[in-house]
Amino acid sequence: MKKKFSLFNPQYAARSWFVLFNTLFFIAMMVIMIVPIYKIFCDSMINQTVYGLNLIPYGVDPEATELARNAGTIGADESVSVWFNTIAYKRIITDPQLYHPFLVSIYTTLLTTFLGLLLSTLGAYVLIQRDMPGVKVFGYALLFTMIFNAGLIPTFLVMKTIGLLDSIWAVIVPTSMNVYNLVLMRSFFEGIPASLFEAAEIDGCTPMGIFIKIVLPLSKAALASIGLFFAVAAWSEYFHYVIYIKSSDKYNFQYKLRDLFQDKQDTSEGTRINTNTLKSAAVIVSIIPFMFIYPFCQKYFMTGVTMGAVKE
Amino acid sequence: MANNDNMNFDHIVVQKPSIKQRMYKYRWFYIMFLPVAVVLFIFYYWPMLGIRYAWSTYKLKQITMRTGPDYSIGWGNFKRLLTADPFQAAFKNTIILSLVNLILATVFTVVVALLINEIGNAWGKKIVQTVLYLPHFLSWVVAASIFMLILSAGTDATGADTSNMGFVNAILYNIGIIDKPIDFLTDSKYWRPVWYIMNRWKETGWGTIIYLAALSSISPDLYEAAEIDGANRFKQTIYITLPSLMNTILIVFILNLAKIMNIFESVFVLYNSLVYDVSDVIQTYVYRVGIVGNDYGYSTAIGLFKSVISLILVTASDIISKKVRGEGIV
Repeated sequence: MKKKFSLFNPQYAARSWFVLFNTLFFIAMMVIMIVPIYKIFCDSMINQTVYGLNLIPYGVDPEATELARNAGTIGADESVSVWFNTIAYKRIITDPQLYHPFLVSIYTTLLTTFLGLLLSTLGAYVLIQRDMPGVKVFGYALLFTMIFNAGLIPTFLVMKTIGLLDSIWAVIVPTSMNVYNLVLMRSFFEGIPASLFEAAEIDGCTPMGIFIKIVLPLSKAALASIGLFFAVAAWSEYFHYVIYIKSSDKYNFQYKLRDLFQDKQDTSEGTRINTNTLKSAAVIVSIIPFMFIYPFCQKYFMTGVTMGAVKE
Repeated sequence: MANNDNMNFDHIVVQKPSIKQRMYKYRWFYIMFLPVAVVLFIFYYWPMLGIRYAWSTYKLKQITMRTGPDYSIGWGNFKRLLTADPFQAAFKNTIILSLVNLILATVFTVVVALLINEIGNAWGKKIVQTVLYLPHFLSWVVAASIFMLILSAGTDATGADTSNMGFVNAILYNIGIIDKPIDFLTDSKYWRPVWYIMNRWKETGWGTIIYLAALSSISPDLYEAAEIDGANRFKQTIYITLPSLMNTILIVFILNLAKIMNIFESVFVLYNSLVYDVSDVIQTYVYRVGIVGNDYGYSTAIGLFKSVISLILVTASDIISKKVRGEGIV
């Protein structure tokens, strides 16, 4: 006869207390992960300074309050509260100073992902050619960059010499050339059976033909996961903009967001938007794209990590 | 011995194609590698020539009235950095922040991975993993922005006006732990703990992936045998799970140890001039001296110093890794 699984059944007591503890632990963990983001979300929808402990997207709307006071529908000491005040979001999508960086973020992300995949697939495809003279040198030349770096200033001075300062390419190209991703791609390509290459070669397929018709179609999962790595890196790019970009029309959204927080310019000036509301809304806007695709792509992100980790 | 007669192929001479022939055979591959080679050259190898500026005085033309570096100072930049207070502080901060973070990361990540592994419900496990991985995809700028908002002391740090404190201060104030808001990010006492917490918040969940992969590869036979021997779950964890995980823990630790000099962006987005004493790291110092201050020679020297230490750490990690698991890390 099976005994009941409960906290007070001595046979299972230790285990069930553990299960209870574990469940509570992870509920707490999830709260810790989510609450800061949720709090910012709520603050972004309340256009007022007082926001302390509030955890609902509901608060006093100064504009509506003023309107109502002028119209005489409420008394002078009353106020109107609204749910989901989107004034800050409206501001972001209508102010070129704020939406332009967002567009820059989108196109640099697309470009970097494309260029990154191009460089890492081409590089990885060459690196798996074991008989090719010089292929080992290429491999070492790539690995060496992982362990030794000339440093920030010499790189900056080269960019200056070749005239890439204030060019978007000074940001896109270094992010696209990621040796770690290239090596990851190579270890994926190594899993493709050599017989496939041989068969294609006998059928008269050129190296480029093999690459396009065999290697790429067989590596969709790797392309997806490494492509996502590039996309995340490109979207999050910030420091390269700080060093290389000078004109304000070339900044991406991360840079703009940082600018808002450093109060370099009070963008809320002359409007009725609270600074914190605008900052919060900007944070939410910058994470929205990945919040949308992340749940659907989690699998690919994880393949990428375990692929690199359990290489041996 | 009949077999031997059949297997005598000595009369067939297999000639390996000459290097020229092989190069011709692979000619398209060289063209395919060209884009990678060009980028590698421009962004990695050409800058290495610039290392020589470390032995020079090289500033903006407007400052020194001359273009290009002046090599008359020899090792002057290195002497200067070894005696400079800001550099020593940056070096110390780099080591402290990295090492403490590395230790916290190892402990937290392993414990969380073990506990995730104990979640029986498949759906629950999936939801927990999804939520815990999420902060990893936020950029450092966003993570720092979120922390700045929730840790804000409000516009009035004197404590007279408590109505616009950030979330954390509001909680602490309302349960009576503090009587006026704390400005966590401009206070040297709190900056480091906040930085550690931000790192753990963002990366703990993501870090568990590698341990979970290792955990799933432990043979179930081991647990069955242990159960027959009467070991409970806790004992199984101590005597089977942890030892099986030890190799992975060590590798991840060594890999990260090799990178301790590299911390940068997480600090850069969270620090400010009020807390340089506890937060300034080598990379941020290089940035301020080189990019903001335009002192190219001296900042190249600092960068080189950092790169050389990194190189030594990576090499050492590689040797340790080879000893431990018979395979290097690079």
